[in-house]
Amino acid sequence: MAATQEKTKKNYLTAIREALDEEMERNPDMICLGEDIGLLGGAFGVTEGLMSKFGTHRVYDMPISEAAIVGVGVGACLNGKTVMAEMQFIDFISCGFDQIVNNLATYHYRTAGEVAMPMVIRGPAGGYGGGALYHSQMNEAWFAHSPGIKVVCPSTPFDAKGLMKAALRDKNPVLYFELKQLYRWSAIDEVLPDEDYEVPIGKAAIRREGRDVTIITYGQNVYHCLDAAKKLEEDNIDAEVIDLRSLVPLDEAAIVQSLQKTSRAIVVNEAPRTCGFAGEIVARISETAFQYLDAPVLRVTRMDTPVPWAHSLERYVLPSVEKIAEAARSVCRF
Amino acid sequence: MSSPPTKTTKNKTTKTAPSRPRDHLSPEDHLEILKQLYLARYFDVRLIKEKRRGRLTGTLYSSHNQEAILVGTLFPLKPSDWISPIHRDMPAFFLKDMRSGWENPDRMGMSIEEVCAQVWCKVGSPGRARDNWSHIGSRAKHIIHSTSMLAGTIPVAAGVVLADRLNGGDAVVLTYNGEGSTAQGVFHEAINFAAVHKLPVITIVENNQWAFGTPLELGCPTPDVATRADGYGIPGLIADGQDVFDVYDKVMEAIEWARAGKGPSIIECKTFRAYGHGDHDDDRAAKYRPQDEVEKGRSRDPIAVCKRYLVERGYLSNADALAFAAENKGAQEAKDDDFPPDVVAYMKKGVDYAIASPSPPAEEGGMWVFSD
Repeated sequence: MAATQEKTKKNYLTAIREALDEEMERNPDMICLGEDIGLLGGAFGVTEGLMSKFGTHRVYDMPISEAAIVGVGVGACLNGKTVMAEMQFIDFISCGFDQIVNNLATYHYRTAGEVAMPMVIRGPAGGYGGGALYHSQMNEAWFAHSPGIKVVCPSTPFDAKGLMKAALRDKNPVLYFELKQLYRWSAIDEVLPDEDYEVPIGKAAIRREGRDVTIITYGQNVYHCLDAAKKLEEDNIDAEVIDLRSLVPLDEAAIVQSLQKTSRAIVVNEAPRTCGFAGEIVARISETAFQYLDAPVLRVTRMDTPVPWAHSLERYVLPSVEKIAEAARSVCRF
Repeated sequence: MSSPPTKTTKNKTTKTAPSRPRDHLSPEDHLEILKQLYLARYFDVRLIKEKRRGRLTGTLYSSHNQEAILVGTLFPLKPSDWISPIHRDMPAFFLKDMRSGWENPDRMGMSIEEVCAQVWCKVGSPGRARDNWSHIGSRAKHIIHSTSMLAGTIPVAAGVVLADRLNGGDAVVLTYNGEGSTAQGVFHEAINFAAVHKLPVITIVENNQWAFGTPLELGCPTPDVATRADGYGIPGLIADGQDVFDVYDKVMEAIEWARAGKGPSIIECKTFRAYGHGDHDDDRAAKYRPQDEVEKGRSRDPIAVCKRYLVERGYLSNADALAFAAENKGAQEAKDDDFPPDVVAYMKKGVDYAIASPSPPAEEGGMWVFSD
């Protein structure tokens, strides 16, 4: 016990950096591409130390050219490399959209399996930080909708490191959404294992067990949902919180298993409502778990708006603990 | 090329020219180049006829009148070099590394059987008929697979040679583009990056004056596309796209420049699109392009230009030059007798194979989304 307490707890950002560092060490064919990731160490410091340790031939400060970052990565993968490509903010990924959805994602398919694309595209995502329209997006649905890309979104330091390792060892393109509000949030710091480990892509985690309603979520909304679950205790509602961790592939079994117990569900996600990933989860539940349901499945999402700047506006459009709790009460009352 | 940006103008073919790359080619090489021009033309002619008979699906983007660019750019390459052809470059897939032997199964280019199976949409295609026409490639043969998004393979090409350099290789990569592609944002992003890192990326621009229905002057503010190179501090060369040896010389210069570690270059090959953008556009193209412009653009058939040079240099007798008369003939006019018999036989092997190859099994449509 004493030994564990002496170990340093690490934050979410450090967990990602350790995964990158250890994989660069382990895999001499891995290179990193991104804006300001070398000399500066990344806008948030995720890649700090990588260039001085591994050199300018493995860590590239790229021009402000997202399409080239992805396209060059595709070419490097074609010629035997593993690539980590950073989007300085995940919002900027739209500038590289064609290269991702038409080139990277389809490469394996159109070559009938001749070519694999071991590339991880990662970047800071999410709202709740006053980042306004172009530094707050959660655009995972665009890519979940593009066959050939895996999509992951860790919510804890342990998962951040383990999922990054799994992603960098996967032969497929993986989009890795990291939440910038979690980077240095000390409340979630944790001791990470000394030994090498992976968190498997495609496996959800139960963050809180409960009998009355299943709250399905991922990313930083996990913490809003846990707070809502606490609030719901006052109403004698015992909520279960599922953190999906991976969207593609999706752990349907974990969702169905939970619904067999609770018979009620809400889905929480900070992306816009229409055609968001929350809608996909509701559709899957309808197809595979309808018989277990005692109430319609509700969504708590961002309104169908961009993410505005002023705190009052941002709070208004994004999911909140209150909105989540109210939705849970509503399905329990049904 | 001494220092960038260097720009040369059209080379006049003169006997007194100083030693040019072509002067190091053997007489056999010269004749092989002519043979490859015939092959590229025959491939296109045959496909146009097959398409008209309704035997092919999809769109045919004819390379008629632009064959000198394909042969002249591919002939200088080493087997290990990379290429990324696009829609109008279908013959490039089998012309690559043909110098290692047309029938050599180990050569770093596709067989005519593979290319024809792709055109016929059959399972014998290297891509198992998953994407159409020119959207094939081969990592093993160093051919990059393109998409329909133009200029989209230039960053990929840059990434390929970046990795090659890290692996200790000395490969160069040729990317093929129309003049219309040079207006794409990714064209700039990729060449900018390649120039920063002095990567051996040679951007071939087949300037055939028409980007589908849009003339050059509405897509490019300068009369020469090659001057786009000035902004990157790299050489921008202009080649006579009808003259296979001028293309060869310019590409050889760019290859030497690139292999010496001096970086990328752009080579604009001036040519003219013989037919519509695709075969679906033939009728409309006859209306949106002035007839005299078309006649002028097609007046210097690359086969005729090559033959004239070979005769002048004494590599080809007048009698041999007259033996096959494919030049200056439209696809419908040209007959098998207008081509050397080995060219016709080579294509026949490909067509026979393609026709015999089955369609892909339906369930393959759901396969290979992810790698296991």
